Amino acid sequence: MTRRQHDVCRFLLFQQFGEQVSVVGKYLLQKSPSPLHLISSETHLDTEQVKKILCILIQQNIVTFGQHKRGFIEYSIRTGEILNRLWFPKYIYCAKTLYGDAAELLLEDVLQRGQVQMSKVIEVVMQRFNEALETSGKQKISESFVVDKFSNLVRTHFLQRCLDPIKSESNKVVGLEVTGEEETLYRLPDLSRKRKKSHDDGPPAKRSKSERPADDEGDGIFWRVNNERFHQMFRDQAIVQAISSKIDRSAGEVLRAMLRVSEVKTAGMATVTTPISVTEIFNALPKDLMARPLLETYLSLICDDSTNFLSKVGDSGGGMYSINIYEALAQLVKAHIESVVQERFGSKCLRIFRVLLLKKHLEQKQIEDFVMISAKEAKDLLYTLFSENFITTTEISKTPDHAPSRTFYLFTVNIQHVASMVLNRCYKALYNAMVKKETEVNEHRRLLDKQERMEAIAASVEDASQRDEILNTITPSEQEQIIKVRRTIQMLDHSELQICEGIFILEMYLMYFKQRQKDKS
Amino acid sequence: MATAAVKEEPIEEVDFETRFIMLCQASPEGITDNVIQKELPQCDTKQRMTIVNRLLSMGKIDLLKSGSKLLYRLKDPDSASQVKGGDNQEKLVYQIIKDAGNKGIWIRDIRFKCNLLLTQVNKILKNLETKKLIKAVKSVAASKKKVYMLYNLEPDRSVTGGAWYSDQDFESEFVEVLNQQCFKYLEQRAAAAREAKSDPIAQRNASFTPLEDVWKYISDLGISKVQLSKEDIETILNTLIYDGKVERSLVAGQATASGDGYVKLYRSVQPLIPTTGLMRMPCGACPVFDQCYEGGAVSPTTCVYMKEWLEI
Ligand code: SF4
Repeated sequence: MTRRQHDVCRFLLFQQFGEQVSVVGKYLLQKSPSPLHLISSETHLDTEQVKKILCILIQQNIVTFGQHKRGFIEYSIRTGEILNRLWFPKYIYCAKTLYGDAAELLLEDVLQRGQVQMSKVIEVVMQRFNEALETSGKQKISESFVVDKFSNLVRTHFLQRCLDPIKSESNKVVGLEVTGEEETLYRLPDLSRKRKKSHDDGPPAKRSKSERPADDEGDGIFWRVNNERFHQMFRDQAIVQAISSKIDRSAGEVLRAMLRVSEVKTAGMATVTTPISVTEIFNALPKDLMARPLLETYLSLICDDSTNFLSKVGDSGGGMYSINIYEALAQLVKAHIESVVQERFGSKCLRIFRVLLLKKHLEQKQIEDFVMISAKEAKDLLYTLFSENFITTTEISKTPDHAPSRTFYLFTVNIQHVASMVLNRCYKALYNAMVKKETEVNEHRRLLDKQERMEAIAASVEDASQRDEILNTITPSEQEQIIKVRRTIQMLDHSELQICEGIFILEMYLMYFKQRQKDKS
Repeated sequence: MATAAVKEEPIEEVDFETRFIMLCQASPEGITDNVIQKELPQCDTKQRMTIVNRLLSMGKIDLLKSGSKLLYRLKDPDSASQVKGGDNQEKLVYQIIKDAGNKGIWIRDIRFKCNLLLTQVNKILKNLETKKLIKAVKSVAASKKKVYMLYNLEPDRSVTGGAWYSDQDFESEFVEVLNQQCFKYLEQRAAAAREAKSDPIAQRNASFTPLEDVWKYISDLGISKVQLSKEDIETILNTLIYDGKVERSLVAGQATASGDGYVKLYRSVQPLIPTTGLMRMPCGACPVFDQCYEGGAVSPTTCVYMKEWLEI
């Protein structure tokens, strides 16, 4: 975790939970894990306060705890979880496209509360959904409809059970664990028994750590969003999109179908999917998209492509194919980095950079010859890239004294290194955009509030002339200002989203890279 | 043999050439046209001319004038005799330069090899130059560096830099123009392929353009003063590959004159992603990125780049 990421984390905590939480968060970001009394003394907040804050953060899956070997409980913060909040809007949108409006509301509610019982969410969603339906004069939905959506989300692993508490002898919760197989995380409670009308037992958010209702018709089970599953989904989307833009839409669809089939079969962090036969792919494709011969054409086309996303691994079942997830991510990361080089240093630098990517180690003279740029300019550009840490050199000396005249300097690109550097820059840019947006909003808060108020009032009056009168209390100059501010906010919002996309790919790639290192050793 | 009644097989030119050389060898003083006509009656004037020209250009014979007649004389294969009248040092330097071939040799290396004083070497070089036995060529590798080579040699590409250099200056603009033109051409081909074919494979194959076609297109454009070879165009296409705009594929084909039996195909490709998000906002390329923090002299809230960008 770098400082840049901490900045973003702090900002997110502040924005979503307020001042005090961000103080505790900031402390934990620096000193995780810490026991309660230390947190409270270091942050100058009283213990009760800190307890409450920790409660909220635990509820939101941001803080976890465990027992120190001396017996006290330590709290640590999960930066990943905080950063995941950047994706929440995308999670919700994703649920909506997959399972419709009810799923959207479901997810929104689960995300908002962090950990929640099934019956609670369903109740809330039913209520909100039916209200909306009522106002638009449509028929209400039944409870089983929402339950269905919920089960769908669980079955496809978008929702999972929260971990079970570990209890000490004195019946205190001292940690969390997965009991049994991973599969149990996705086991739905037995819904066949008629559920009692859920009783109102206070706000569910303040779940006390030591007492939990017994496993009563599933109400003892708490659910949360499975971030990894969503990320896997986004990863797949990025791969599909890349191939769509490189080849065409149909090629993207073929990959999408393959990824969907492999989803259930391939282990989470596998670098290559399990082989999938043509027949399987064909069956998974949307009907009428393409005939089987065309599918085979596309498969060999994607295999032949320089992107190496796909490879043929066998001939049974009409041909077996698997997707090289790691390779795809590596290609995508390179594309993002190249884009950075192109925009920041120009196309000639990009040429130099790519030559190095393609040929690995090169001497200055060789680079000049390949890129067809005059020696002087090439030297300049190389130096720029070098001083900005996009390329590195390796010294190979002919003699042990490393005399410069008898030493070769080979230039090379270390892609992991560049990726983490660019990632850092992304986080800072993101942070800057968020700060800028915040100040814009604060600066014009009064105006924005006024507009909202007026519009709300105007919406409630029937009479047209009266309505105009109310709306006219906003002067033209104010109106202009509002439009400008809204536009600014929108631009910043948009660019936040775009930066996040880059961050996502970079993070994913680095994660896979580390995983691969681990697998190798 | 000229009297033989049997109709003679036409003797190959090469045969004439060897006979010609043999004749020259027989008379080291040189031979005239008349002698040749007498000795090689089957060889007509035209053939004779080509042979003479060839041998001249290969540097095998010399053309001398004695009175009103032209005299052909075989050049002495022993190069040292070229510097007749020169002393041993001169011979040594000549030999060194000759060994360097058409890549030439730098004066420093000459000195290093012959162990003579700089002033001496300079004098000898000057001598040889006035005798038109050697010449100095400026190398593109370093603008002030001169290399020496035998007078009749064509400097190597590494010395002149080939088509991309004029007077030791690398013509960046020329390269860039060619780079753009090649790309434009490949783009056109790809666009045409997309329109004409619906089958994805056929589409891709149609967008593949052989090196030959690109070369022809560029030659026909006439943007280049010098004649560009296919290899030159290939170098340009390579830069497009490094730019990430073009891909190359090798297909086994009928062996061409260049001989490797592969046809080089090029096509323009679409990028994997649009410009990355970071670079679509000012911080991506910001020159004061590292100095920028809240409360600092440059900060996101006061930043002018942001302001400008948001006001577009
Ligand atoms: S906010 Fe402005 S000064 Fe700061 S990094 Fe971004 S562009 Fe540069």
